[in-house]
Amino acid sequence: MQTCWLLSLSIVAVPFVFPFLWMIASSFKNAAEVLGSTSLIPETIRWTNYVEVFEYQPFARQYFNSLYIAVLVSAGTLVISSLAGYALARMRFAGAGLLMLFLVSALMVPEEVTIIPNFFLFGWLDLMDTHWPLVLLPVFGSHGVMATFLMRQYFLAIPKELEEAGKMDGLSRLGIWWKIALPMSRPALAAVTIITFLFSWNLFLEPLVFLSSREMFTLPLALNNFTDAYGAPLWHLQLAATSLAVVPVLVVYILAQRQIMESFALSGVKG
Amino acid sequence: MQHSKRLAALTLSAAFMAPGLAAEAQELRVTVWTGSDAHLAMLNGIADGFEAENPGTTVTFETIPFSEYTRGLTLQLAGGNPPDVGWLLESDAPTFVSAGVLADIGPALRGDADYNYGDFAEPAMGLWVDGDAVYGVPFSTSPFMIFYNATAFEEAGLPTPVGLAEEGNWTWEALRSSAAALSDGANGFWGFEGKDGQGYDSRILHAMMPPIRAYGGDAWTDGQCGFTSSEAIAAMELYHAMIFDDGSVVPPGEIGDFFAGDAAMTINQISRVTRLADAGFEWGIAPLPTGPDGQADVIGQAALVVFEQGEHKDLATALIAHMTSAESVAIMAEFFPPARSSVLASDAFIQSNPAISPAQMAMVKDAIENGVVLPAHENYPQIFAAMSPRVDALWQADADVGAVMASVCEAIAGDL
Amino acid sequence: MEAWLFLSPTVIGFTIFFLGPLIAVFGYSLTEWNLLTQRATWVGLENYADALGQNPDFWPVLRNSLIFAVGLVPMNMALALGLALSLSRPAFGNVFFRVVFFAPVVTSAVAWAIVWKFLLQGEAGAVNQTLAVIGIDGPNWLREPDWAMFAVIFTRVIKMVGLNMILYIAALQSVPRDYEAAAVLEGASRLQIFRWIIWPLLAPTTLVIMVVTTIGSLKIFDHIFLMTRGGPENGTLVLAFYIYQQAFEFFNVGYAAALAVIMFVVILALTLLQVALRNRNAS
Repeated sequence: MQTCWLLSLSIVAVPFVFPFLWMIASSFKNAAEVLGSTSLIPETIRWTNYVEVFEYQPFARQYFNSLYIAVLVSAGTLVISSLAGYALARMRFAGAGLLMLFLVSALMVPEEVTIIPNFFLFGWLDLMDTHWPLVLLPVFGSHGVMATFLMRQYFLAIPKELEEAGKMDGLSRLGIWWKIALPMSRPALAAVTIITFLFSWNLFLEPLVFLSSREMFTLPLALNNFTDAYGAPLWHLQLAATSLAVVPVLVVYILAQRQIMESFALSGVKG
Repeated sequence: MQHSKRLAALTLSAAFMAPGLAAEAQELRVTVWTGSDAHLAMLNGIADGFEAENPGTTVTFETIPFSEYTRGLTLQLAGGNPPDVGWLLESDAPTFVSAGVLADIGPALRGDADYNYGDFAEPAMGLWVDGDAVYGVPFSTSPFMIFYNATAFEEAGLPTPVGLAEEGNWTWEALRSSAAALSDGANGFWGFEGKDGQGYDSRILHAMMPPIRAYGGDAWTDGQCGFTSSEAIAAMELYHAMIFDDGSVVPPGEIGDFFAGDAAMTINQISRVTRLADAGFEWGIAPLPTGPDGQADVIGQAALVVFEQGEHKDLATALIAHMTSAESVAIMAEFFPPARSSVLASDAFIQSNPAISPAQMAMVKDAIENGVVLPAHENYPQIFAAMSPRVDALWQADADVGAVMASVCEAIAGDL
Repeated sequence: MEAWLFLSPTVIGFTIFFLGPLIAVFGYSLTEWNLLTQRATWVGLENYADALGQNPDFWPVLRNSLIFAVGLVPMNMALALGLALSLSRPAFGNVFFRVVFFAPVVTSAVAWAIVWKFLLQGEAGAVNQTLAVIGIDGPNWLREPDWAMFAVIFTRVIKMVGLNMILYIAALQSVPRDYEAAAVLEGASRLQIFRWIIWPLLAPTTLVIMVVTTIGSLKIFDHIFLMTRGGPENGTLVLAFYIYQQAFEFFNVGYAAALAVIMFVVILALTLLQVALRNRNAS
């Protein structure tokens, strides 16, 4: 019975695992072999694919772009959402309900709806082909709202006594937030960081629309761009680059999988 | 708190001002769709001469992949981030001209005696002039030719396309039978590959025009859709049969790269010869096959244009003048056949590319002189986008060619 | 008030980058505006009339979006529940399998699409080669409209099911053990336990997952762009991609804006519907 279960799970797991194996294996083949054979083991191991990836595009720069943008977006989202989430959870003020309503509506609106005016806005601000839209839009758009609600949910669940104690000790609201509420909400902060980092790392539409020069590209765009002079994909390079993009994330994921999965589980509780 | 706010404000305004400050050192940005090292080296070499004549100026070439080119360029223009100069395809010419986004460089070019504007053949300039205004200078007037794998033909003991052409027997039927004879799909070798392997996607018109024109049809004339003509349908039926009945054409979704040695023939332009530098086989060039209507050469054209929104239009115009001077054109002739009559007629042209024999270049020259440029239209983006999904239906084994062509015409009728 | 100090970055940013654009989109939708020529003319509600009435492309696009959602959501939820039920108890190999099933969720959509586009190739693709070994002649997955839709749905399910799986696992782990234990003592079968105890207790989670997954599937863009670009024959052309295409490939900003408004209304309606259903069920 046990083995039966394990066996069926293993079969189901094939489409989950095989793509990664195949991607890594093929990244060592040359162009012809990638298409020719479907064996997982390459005939000869071509490390040069990986070198060529960096020669073909400013790939290192693009990798760095994705990294630092994700860091900025995570940091920005953390600050903004924890501030706003705390206010929505703990403070009473006029217009709270209305504000919540507005924010909720943001969760339902996909990026495609607001991308056109944002395109013109950033053009008018002369910020096209810069990373500004890639940082500002996630932080203040529907993703930021999602993070805010997540923080709010968590703050609501923290017992109030500690905060009241802080108030009696003479802390300002900001002080309470900084010294008491935030440290107590580490799991939520971690969740926001992880989800936001991945979200920014995988952004595709915004870079597609706002970026034009290759040095400014982020990874998703760069991966899509491994085509030869006339547009046909260079599979061996594309797969090597894809491996480079995916494997580090996978490694981090495997090391921190419990934390990561819990973060996503937390985000689902928001309902 | 105050301190950091002021700092932030200063940094922000500095960030906004920085682009303006940098304008002192003039930088001209040229968008191109080639990523080929050889092409870019040549272009940079020509640009070096311009930089030397105009100290303080730098010229940078920015590659936008071909399949994204029109879209990427439009986004740059619409987003207020225009390049100064750009390549433009013949099919986009009417759209961009009527949109008013191209600068009229006629006065500057005509006024320059050294430039010799009259050297440009009138037919070649067709798409790029509107009355007296000149919106672009073609730098490449490149006919479609048949590239063939000479080694494969020899090993199979078949007469080569060039040989057949000399006899006057190089017809589409001949191409079909050669492709069928050489094709070995099971082992990953095909008789024929569509242009750049994209004959089913971004280059459907490039794939369809050679056979259709050889049969006497055309994509559209004077606002009338030509795809439902009996000639066009007959041509596409032949091509469809080649793909699905003979199995001799690289099928949709498969990759059979001629330049990697996986196909016996393909249609392409001489600028691709750079891809044959490391070819493991002997290759040759032949004219397009003839059809019931005789020889119909198809020309792909690309021009250099100056964008109206650019900040350095005069300098940009000077750059174009430099890049299309008789001297530069002779250099570019290696990959990009010239529109300048003087260069076309010269010996230098025939011998410009060490990889292409004079006899082959002579074929290219003939094709330029007799050929017709690919179809273009003011609403080309819409037409192409409306056509593509309908043409998808052609690439099915059981496609009813006549019905598909009818649906294509229906889809584009409104835009023609 | 203090609250506004905390909220000001959010509110200001939200207004500039979200609310403002949302209102602007309504405005754009009332014009005919070409992205290339930058010329705009006022046309009132003509774009809407065009989309809903005259343009033959719109309803098929909406249909494609709905087919995608209707295909994806049940497949995703059923698989997620099944996997969660198998993996919610501490047992040998559970952690390993959970990691495996969740891995595609953290993978970049671009990477996932590139690899699958390759695996699904007509002849040389690994999928068809594997099928050939067991004697099946696989279709040219991404080149036939119906198969392409299936392929796109299937690959998207594989990519995202891990997320719903861990949500279900979290919910299952919070089911009080006593209920189950009591039922077992009374002789209930596994199936009965599931049907009468576990399933009702999962209802809130199920509803949340359904709403979120449905909205997500209606918003799908990256996946379609990268795998099929809406083809073949517009067979996988869904609403989000259609909007992008109209704005950035056809340059019809006004029409695209109208489509965006329609999309917003559709999602809003469906969400309200599902929330109303949840409230009705809860009471």
